[in-house]
Amino acid sequence: MNSEQLLEQIREANLNYLLLAQHLIRQDRDAAVYRLGVDEELADLIDKLTPAQLMRIASSNTLLCRFRFDDRVILDLLVAKGEKRAISSAHAAILMAQQPAEALA
Amino acid sequence: MAKKSVVGEARQIQMAIELINLGARLQVLEAETTLSRERLLRLYKEVKGVSPPKGMLPFSTDWFITWQPNIHSSLFIEIYRYLQAHSKVDGIEATIKAYRLYLEHVTLHEMDPVLTLTRAWTLLRYFDSDMMKTTGCTRCNGQFVVHTHDLHERYICGLCAPPSRAGKTRKAAVLQAAQATT
Repeated sequence: MNSEQLLEQIREANLNYLLLAQHLIRQDRDAAVYRLGVDEELADLIDKLTPAQLMRIASSNTLLCRFRFDDRVILDLLVAKGEKRAISSAHAAILMAQQPAEALA
Repeated sequence: MAKKSVVGEARQIQMAIELINLGARLQVLEAETTLSRERLLRLYKEVKGVSPPKGMLPFSTDWFITWQPNIHSSLFIEIYRYLQAHSKVDGIEATIKAYRLYLEHVTLHEMDPVLTLTRAWTLLRYFDSDMMKTTGCTRCNGQFVVHTHDLHERYICGLCAPPSRAGKTRKAAVLQAAQATT
């Protein structure tokens, strides 16, 4: 894959992410705050972005969404499979709900 | 007495219907809405088609400490706290939203919804009255539901150190047998 295609894919992923975020926020702001891992203030700002602004934000050479398993324990729980899958997912969800929300500085 | 607002009442009925559909007992509805008992009874019958179950609500705090219920209630509490901390939702609406997110998680991972809405609501009352709280597991740092007045030094949660028979239910055995034959 050449770098131009790569940039194109990043742009698309970013745009998809932003659009999904807006959709979630507009449908149910409180649930979206939980799903996105942001606080209400940031959710409000994302909600107010215009399509033109979204396009500009998405055109970047870096991805906008971040990994939430910044912790070895959570990563191990999330990749669990088989009979431990359900219980591990609950464990991971408990730990992730305690992570701080993304907020504006 | 303040004059009753029709819009306000409509909103209350809407919320009562939502609660009934989520499986709330009549006592929850009585505590969370200003509608009269008779109206709630009629509403319940209309929505569910049957009379509400009678008798007391489950009142044991110990239930939340047992292995599987503890996982479910800790998950619910953490979602609830997240919403409280980061969004403006409050009161019974926060309970409903957190419970929906909990249900979503449970159904996604094909677990039984062990925690009913009534239990979740009761749990929050225990938290308010300081009968229960959460404490950090010394291994995974997660917060888990415990009795307020127990000792929690060097607490290890039921997920980091599951009891030997945990999760070995008849249902799990049947499922495993089915997987082995295929």
